[in-house]
Amino acid sequence: MAKPKISTDWMAGCSGCHMSLLDIDERIVTVAELADIRSSPITDLKEPDSSGVDVGILEGGINNSANEEVAHKMRKRCKTLVALGDCAVFGGVPAMRNFFMMDETLRRAYVETESTDSEGKIPSDPELARMTRVRALEEVVPVDVYVPGCPPDPDVIYYVLAELAQGRKPEISGDKLDWH
Amino acid sequence: MVNITIDDKKIEVPDGTTVLQAARMADIHIPTLCNHPHLTPYGGCRMCLVEVEGARTLQPSCTLPAGNNMVVHTDTPKTREARKFVLTLLFSERNHFCMYCQKSGGDCELQNCAYGEGMTHWPLPPNWQAYKVDASHPYYVMDHNRCILCRRCVRACGELAGNFTLGFEDRGANSILVADLGNPLGESTCVSCGTCVQVCPTGALIDRKSAYLGKDVQTEKTKSICLGCSLGCGIDVHTRDNQLVRIDGDWDAAVNGGILCMTGRFEPTVEERERIVTPLVRKNGALKAATWNEALFVVSEKLASLKGLNGSGVAALVSTRLPAEALHLFKQVFADVLQSKVVTSIEEGAYTAASTKVAKELGKPFEGTLADLEMADSVMAFGIDLVEDHQVAGFFIKRNLPKGTKLVVVDSQRNAMSDLAQLTLKPAARTEIDLIEGLAAAVALLNSNESALGGVLTGASLETAPQTTGVSAQAYLEAARLITAAENPVLIYGKGLAGNESALKALVEFAAQIGAKVIAPKGQANSVAAAQYGLEGTFEINGQKAVFIALGDDELSKTMQQRLEAVPFLVVASSYVNAATAKADVVLPVEMWAEVEGHYVNSEGRLQTAAASLTAPEGVLSSQKILAEIAARLGATPSVDWRKQLALPQLN
Repeated sequence: MAKPKISTDWMAGCSGCHMSLLDIDERIVTVAELADIRSSPITDLKEPDSSGVDVGILEGGINNSANEEVAHKMRKRCKTLVALGDCAVFGGVPAMRNFFMMDETLRRAYVETESTDSEGKIPSDPELARMTRVRALEEVVPVDVYVPGCPPDPDVIYYVLAELAQGRKPEISGDKLDWH
Repeated sequence: MVNITIDDKKIEVPDGTTVLQAARMADIHIPTLCNHPHLTPYGGCRMCLVEVEGARTLQPSCTLPAGNNMVVHTDTPKTREARKFVLTLLFSERNHFCMYCQKSGGDCELQNCAYGEGMTHWPLPPNWQAYKVDASHPYYVMDHNRCILCRRCVRACGELAGNFTLGFEDRGANSILVADLGNPLGESTCVSCGTCVQVCPTGALIDRKSAYLGKDVQTEKTKSICLGCSLGCGIDVHTRDNQLVRIDGDWDAAVNGGILCMTGRFEPTVEERERIVTPLVRKNGALKAATWNEALFVVSEKLASLKGLNGSGVAALVSTRLPAEALHLFKQVFADVLQSKVVTSIEEGAYTAASTKVAKELGKPFEGTLADLEMADSVMAFGIDLVEDHQVAGFFIKRNLPKGTKLVVVDSQRNAMSDLAQLTLKPAARTEIDLIEGLAAAVALLNSNESALGGVLTGASLETAPQTTGVSAQAYLEAARLITAAENPVLIYGKGLAGNESALKALVEFAAQIGAKVIAPKGQANSVAAAQYGLEGTFEINGQKAVFIALGDDELSKTMQQRLEAVPFLVVASSYVNAATAKADVVLPVEMWAEVEGHYVNSEGRLQTAAASLTAPEGVLSSQKILAEIAARLGATPSVDWRKQLALPQLN
C-alpha cells in the first residue's frame, strides 16, 4: 500500500501550530516513514497535489478571500481535513477583530500603532485579497478532525499525524483535549 | 430518610436531599455549572440533567428532591447528548474564546465541562455580537462575553453577602447581568466583597490583580485567617513564587463560611507601602542601616538603663494585629521585666475594657457568638455600623433581612445600616444609658399591657422613659415591639457603647429582660487576646524617656502619633515605612500579615491559627522573635506559654 499523502497549509494564524508540529522533534522522521509529506508552507512544494492527498491539515482561521481559496482548494484535494489549532477550530485570537468594525481594525493596524510613522495608510491595492469577518474553518468548508489548542501540544500533533498516517481517525479526548 | 438508586448504587439519604446531593454523597459525578454547594439550587443551566425511570423527560438533578424508590441514571446516551447540546447552546450564546481568557486551562468550569463531554469544537458558531466589558470596578472586571447567565453571582450577592446589587435585566437571549438598575459596577451599590468573583464559573467576573498571574494548579494555597478585623474570617491565600496572587474566602471556615469583605479579600493584594527590610539606627540625625546585633544592642542598652523607672522609664505600645505569642511576650518584657506602668495596645481597650469589667462583675462572659447573629430574627445595633466595619458580620444580618429579620439601628451618628433598618433611633450624643432605660421601660409597658401590641398605647403612657435622648415615646414602643416580637433577639454593640461601662451594664440588663444575646465585634484581629493579657489601658505619656512600639504591619492613628511627639527615644518594630518609623531612633523590620505565624482570638473567643503563606524577606524577623531576643539581652527568660492566660469559651 502506498504511504498516505499529507499536505498542510496556514491561513489567518501565527504559524505557531506549525512550530508546534516541528516540536515533535525526531519523531518527524517516523511520520515521514509512515506518510508522504507532500506540501506545507515550510517545504518547497506549497500546494497540495492537484491529483489529491489523503490528509489535509489547515492552521488558522479564514479572514479574507485568499484564505477562502486555500480552504476550498485543500478541501477539494484532500480526503480527510484537519482543523489544527484554536484559530482553525474556533477563529482564535484573530477573531477578536470581529468585535470591531473593519475600518477600525485597519486604521489601528496600519495607521495608529505606536510603531507606525505619520506616513501610515491603509493598503488599497486591487491585487490584495478582500478582507472578511474571521471565521473558523468549519464555517467555510466541512471539517473531519478538530485538533484544538493554542498551539496544540506536540505530543497531540504527533498522535494525530501517526493515527492519520496509519489510516485511523484520531480521537481527541482526555489529556489530549486542551483548547487553551 | 428516602431510598434512591443512582447508577445502580442504592443509597439512603435524608428527606429533602436533592438527586445531585445524593449522587455526590455516593461519589457519582454529575457535571454542573449553575449549581454551587453554598447557594440555593437554581436549575438554570441544565448541565445536570439525569434520566429518572418513569419520568417523561430528563430532570435537572440539582433541583429534583430525591424520592423514595426513585431510580436515576446519570450517564446514558440520552443524558450525554443533552449535556453536549446544552454546552453547544452555551458556547453559541456569547463569545467564549478560551485562548485569551484568564480562566482557561483548568480554572474554568465551562471549559472543564466541555472537556468532560469530549467536545473538540463548537458545533454552533459563537454569538459574534460584541458584549460590553465593564471595567469600572477597582478590583474586578465584568465581561459579559463570557457570562453563561448561571446567576451564581446574583445568588451569592444576595444570599451570602446580603447586598442584592447584582441582578438580571431583560429576558431570553437579551438577559444581561446588571449592577443595581444598570449602573457601571464601579459606581453601583457594590461593597466590593468579591463573593461574586469567587463563585463565577467562567471568566465573566475576574479579579484584576490576580488575572493571568497563574492558574490554580500553579499557585500554592494556604489556609489561614484574615487579620483585617476581629472576626477572623477563614481565607485561602493563593501564592506563587513567594508572591501574593489572590485571597479567597475559605468555604469550610466556621466563622465566615466562604465570604469575605473588601478589607479581607482585596485590600491586602494592593499593598503599596514601602517595606522595611533591614534594621535602622539613627546616627547623627539620620536613620542608617544597621545589623540586627547593633540595633538590638542599642535597644536593649536603652531599655536596661530605664528598667524600673516607672514614670521616667519606658512606655510600650503594641498592635492588636500581632499574634498571641507576640502579645504575651510583649506584656512580660515591658510590664514584668522592665516594670513599666504604661504597657498597652494601640486600641487602648476601646472595644474591650468595659466588656472585661462587666464580665468580671457578672462573674462570667456575657457575649454571644457570630452564630447567634446568624440565627437572629431581630437585631438591635448600638453604635456600630456594620456596613463600614466588620462587614462580614453585617452580611450575616443583611442576608437575613428578606427572610423577615428585623433591624433596629441605635446611633447618635450617621449610620449606613439605617438604610436597611425597620427603625432608626437617633438619640442625642452621650445619652446611651437613658436610651436603654427608655427601651427597657417600653418593653416593660408592652409586657404589662397586652393591648399595647394592638397599638393602643400612646406616647403619654411611657412617662417612665427619660426625656434627654430626644427619642419619641412612639419610637421607643416601636423598637420594643420589634425586638420583643422576636424569638432570637440579638443586641450588637460597637465602639459607641464599648467604652461606656455603665451603658454596657444597662445593655446587659436590658438583654436579660428581653432574653436577647449580646454580641460585640470588637476591634482588630487580636483585640480580645490583647484584652485578656491586660493590654487595654490608656497610653498616657508623662515624662517617659523611651517608647517601644511593636507595630507589625499596622499604622498609628494621628492622635497616637501626636502623643509621641515629645518622646526622646523611640523604637518602632514595623513592616512598613510610616510616620512612626520616620520619627524613630531605632527601626526593626518585622513580618507582615501573610508572613506571620501565630494565634488569634476572634471577637467571639474562638482561638484560631494564622499560617504563613509567604516567607519574609531575608533579615526580617517575627515580632515574637524580636521580643524574645530583647528579653534575652535583658537577662530575662519569659514564659512562652501564651495559652495559659487566655480564657476561651468552649467554641473550638
